[in-house]
Amino acid sequence: MTTEITLFVLRLLAGAILLLMLLALFVVMWRDYHSSAREAEASRRTYGRIIVMHELDGSYARTGESHPLLPTTSFGRAPTNTIRVEDTFASSEHAVVVMRNGQWWLEDRASRNGTTLNGVSVNQPVVVTDGDVIGIGHLRYRLEMEAS
Amino acid sequence: MTTGAFPLSHRRRLPFPVTTERVLLGVGALFVIVITLGLILTRGRFEPGDLLSPAVWLGCALTGHLLLERRLPNRDPLLFPIAMFLSGWGLVVVDRLAPPFADRQTLWLVVSVGGMLAAALTPHSLRWLRSYRYTLLVIGLGLLVSTILLGRNPSGQEGAPELWLGIGSLYFQPSEALKIILVAFLASYLGEQYPALRAEGLDGLQRRWAISPRILGPVLLMWGLSVVILIWQRDLGTAILFFVVFLVLLYIASGYTPILLGGAILIVLAGIVAYSLFDVVQLRVDIWLNPWNEGEGRAYQIVQSLLAFAAGGPFGQGIGQGAPEFIPVVHSDFVFAAVAEEWGLVGVFSVIGLVAVVVMRGMRIGISQRGRPFHTLLAVGLSTVIGVQSLLIMGGVLKLVPLTGVTLPFLSYGGSSLLTNFIIVGLLLRLSAPEGT
Repeated sequence: MTTEITLFVLRLLAGAILLLMLLALFVVMWRDYHSSAREAEASRRTYGRIIVMHELDGSYARTGESHPLLPTTSFGRAPTNTIRVEDTFASSEHAVVVMRNGQWWLEDRASRNGTTLNGVSVNQPVVVTDGDVIGIGHLRYRLEMEAS
Repeated sequence: MTTGAFPLSHRRRLPFPVTTERVLLGVGALFVIVITLGLILTRGRFEPGDLLSPAVWLGCALTGHLLLERRLPNRDPLLFPIAMFLSGWGLVVVDRLAPPFADRQTLWLVVSVGGMLAAALTPHSLRWLRSYRYTLLVIGLGLLVSTILLGRNPSGQEGAPELWLGIGSLYFQPSEALKIILVAFLASYLGEQYPALRAEGLDGLQRRWAISPRILGPVLLMWGLSVVILIWQRDLGTAILFFVVFLVLLYIASGYTPILLGGAILIVLAGIVAYSLFDVVQLRVDIWLNPWNEGEGRAYQIVQSLLAFAAGGPFGQGIGQGAPEFIPVVHSDFVFAAVAEEWGLVGVFSVIGLVAVVVMRGMRIGISQRGRPFHTLLAVGLSTVIGVQSLLIMGGVLKLVPLTGVTLPFLSYGGSSLLTNFIIVGLLLRLSAPEGT
């Protein structure tokens, strides 16, 4: 009789341990997915957007295209650039926007036809802020920065 | 990969950190001890030898854990405990179903854990797999050919498939080793072709040209050779497994969906051809469609397996208290039915859940290898081997798909299968740790 009771208890225990194992695995994987989701979110974080506009009857209209603003955003006709500029006036490596010491800088990369910032041509690195418009050929790029 | 700790570690009284792997290994040890006690009680007599295999299991778990902790501290914390849980369970099940085989299985466990540690800890093991792929392939195919010529079956029955190579009383199944060799070869080859397969701007017709015989010729040739040999050997489960793994890897490497569709059609076509050509396929399909007419004859095994599932019910009969021994060769291919009878639905769910977690973690390890096609393909291929093999045999035992004689990873009796699966886990551990490349 006692053997039967012990066996019954052992049977219950075995089942309980199996469920415990599944539960433990579930908890571990649940946490893992949450932490990796947070990580993915953090790495996907951008600093703002760059809105592409083109000339239309003397004023500028949005093309509907926009790019994320990255710590290093390069402009040019070459496909290796972050933002590929489809304009015959653009050089293959035209300009770059970089984050340096907490500020955003615009640099012209010795392009043939030059870069403008709010209509003024850029000869040396300048600090840019939210709402500035970068001009390359016939295209205009407006910076929209997120408050960090 | 994060080595998340349980909240238990907030209690500072323990002299060692409580990591996920330790908790899970502890749960596994508890389970092995409980079911071993149950087994001894149902036998009604106690011999000190009964405690040998649980003791060896504990030793393997401890050694493996400590060595891995030292050399690969950032590995995936789930794979090793799950492998040990399932193999400990398998050890007790083999002891319960076929006591004469228990000692041999225990010995194989030691060899397997050693193999796993070797795969996980040998420096440059992944680079070897990658660079010496043709050498490995020649060794693998050589083993297979020698099985055809010299193969034996340990049971010594007439007409049984002769898939083993024997040295003395030790037998080894070369098709098991071929699984790893095949995946490593395909991963290495497709990883090299990756830029061509994934070239930007290729779509539609152009892409079809990229996946041309010129690129895939050697792969198809190699695959055709193994499948022909396997059908010759009548090891159908392994042939299906190889083909599915090949398709999955080709799909992952190329990202071209019609491959899967075409592959599915090819499998159905091959099935129809095999049905009309081979008696053994015809038998398997017939007893899958309707086993009940021949429940006492050709379909005896599958009918007994279904009865075992029914007898198990939700909570099982308890270890040693069911009657799974009515199923012929229950300790190898039909171990899942024995689990169902003695641990019930809870046990069945646990096996499925544990295997699923291994496969999921393997796939995740593959995803995390950004920019390293060989590593991605290796991780995906190895976890596909475990997943597809488990699905084939679990489905077969449940009469969901025609029965193919493959082993259930970690649980079934069989040394070469245990060794292969542990080496797969070792390679996955290696891939999961950022320090091992």
